[in-house]
Amino acid sequence: MIRFPSVLWFEEMRALANSDPEHLRRLGTVDLALVVKIDSADRSSLFEIAFSGYRCTQVRELADLAAAAPDAVVIEGPYQTWREMVENIRAHGHADLNHTLNTLTIYDTPMRVTARNQLDTDLFYRYQQNLQEFFDNAAKVPTYFAESEQAHAA
Amino acid sequence: MSNISPVVERALDYISEVRQGKIDLKWMEANSGGWGVKAMPRDDRGLGLEDINRVGHYGDVPDSGSKVGSMAPRGSEIPADMPSLGCYDINDKSLVWADNVALLYDEAVARQWSSARDIPWDQLKPLPEDMEKAMCQLCTGLTEVEFVAGDMPAKWLWHINHDFHEVKCFLATQIADEARHMEVFRKRALANGGGLMRSSPAQESLLRVILEAPDYTTGSALMHVLAEGFVLTMFRSGEMLAPSEVEKRIFRLCMQDEARHVAYGTMHLKYFLEKHPERAADIHEILRMGEEAIFGLSLDSSTAEPRAILAGGGVDHIYEGFAKLGGLYTKQVREYLHRLKVAGIDRTSQLAIPLELPAN
Repeated sequence: MIRFPSVLWFEEMRALANSDPEHLRRLGTVDLALVVKIDSADRSSLFEIAFSGYRCTQVRELADLAAAAPDAVVIEGPYQTWREMVENIRAHGHADLNHTLNTLTIYDTPMRVTARNQLDTDLFYRYQQNLQEFFDNAAKVPTYFAESEQAHAA
Repeated sequence: MSNISPVVERALDYISEVRQGKIDLKWMEANSGGWGVKAMPRDDRGLGLEDINRVGHYGDVPDSGSKVGSMAPRGSEIPADMPSLGCYDINDKSLVWADNVALLYDEAVARQWSSARDIPWDQLKPLPEDMEKAMCQLCTGLTEVEFVAGDMPAKWLWHINHDFHEVKCFLATQIADEARHMEVFRKRALANGGGLMRSSPAQESLLRVILEAPDYTTGSALMHVLAEGFVLTMFRSGEMLAPSEVEKRIFRLCMQDEARHVAYGTMHLKYFLEKHPERAADIHEILRMGEEAIFGLSLDSSTAEPRAILAGGGVDHIYEGFAKLGGLYTKQVREYLHRLKVAGIDRTSQLAIPLELPAN
């Protein structure tokens, strides 16, 4: 079992994403640094996931947003929303109609997408299918969660 | 053989000379400055248009395209007797160029999809009649409007100088994208017990403004930045409103394509305005016309009501749907303004349409 969120958890997601090169070639190239920002009451966890060409190339934890790639796209939301999304994906094998990245972010609540400018934000739309399939891999990651938001913060 | 033309006669003479051992081979001395290059793919994505622009002088895109007016490839040696084809009259790079265009072409080629193969049509399920009618009306409108983004580039494509082949290639992918969008929405309308519904005079008004734009850049600002920008947000909402994985996938895949088109249009407008700041007023004026047309279209009953029914979950919940769409409208306008800001244009104070819809 791997704890969500953690570098190990996202590394497992990266390995799963890269495990079917033929499918990735069919989806097409992606050039993007995506920062996952998971907010708790008193802190945020940040993970940068880098995509280049047909591969997810790197996962790293960030100390703060200033450490992210300058053109990174940030998807942020409360820990409970992230947890609910991962649990939903695990329950259905993929995100159901109410838990896709697009649905969760479109009203800027409970999640939102930001970047240094709109053209970079649009990368989130340009690579939407790849990003959704990346997160749908959570169905295959044996996951455990911190007991509560406080435990996550600890 | 009196009916043989001089052209054929010269060709036959050449065969005769070759048989006599007279081989020309002068073409082997051509373009010595361009010889010896070895383009390499940057990674496992393969050899892209961007990669071949990194070798020799082949990536040098002139500010003014070749005056010859031929289809001679940029970087080749052009013989003195090369004839002009008489149709390439967009010769100024700033009128078509965007710094991301080669990248976007490579990406477009790599991210093509098939509406036959990549949509899980077998997952369609019968919907309540109001929901199916709403989805079919939405798809009718999208089928009607999508290919303007094919017809508009096609109108200008054959005028563009071949020295800007990256732009021509990208626009060709856009035309293919729009063909796919037109057919996928038509397919959805015909695939679940419904059918095409009512076409829209309001849509035609917007389409006319785009097709009749006086030049490529104003047409591009209207279509790539304004119309496709609005459609991009509409596809985001479509994905959210989708009653099944089928529509969700359709809107998501179309959204990806639209985002590429918007990225080109935004960066083209930026490039153009950097070179021609004096033309900003023309861009403002065409955008004003487009904003008015798109606002009228957005609030046309055959456009707004189907989306509200889908957003609300049925005709009985249409007002809940309208409330949801109000928030999306604001997002649509804000994103449009932010894209224009990237392009170097601030329309916040000149916007011809409200930033928010009236609450009551």
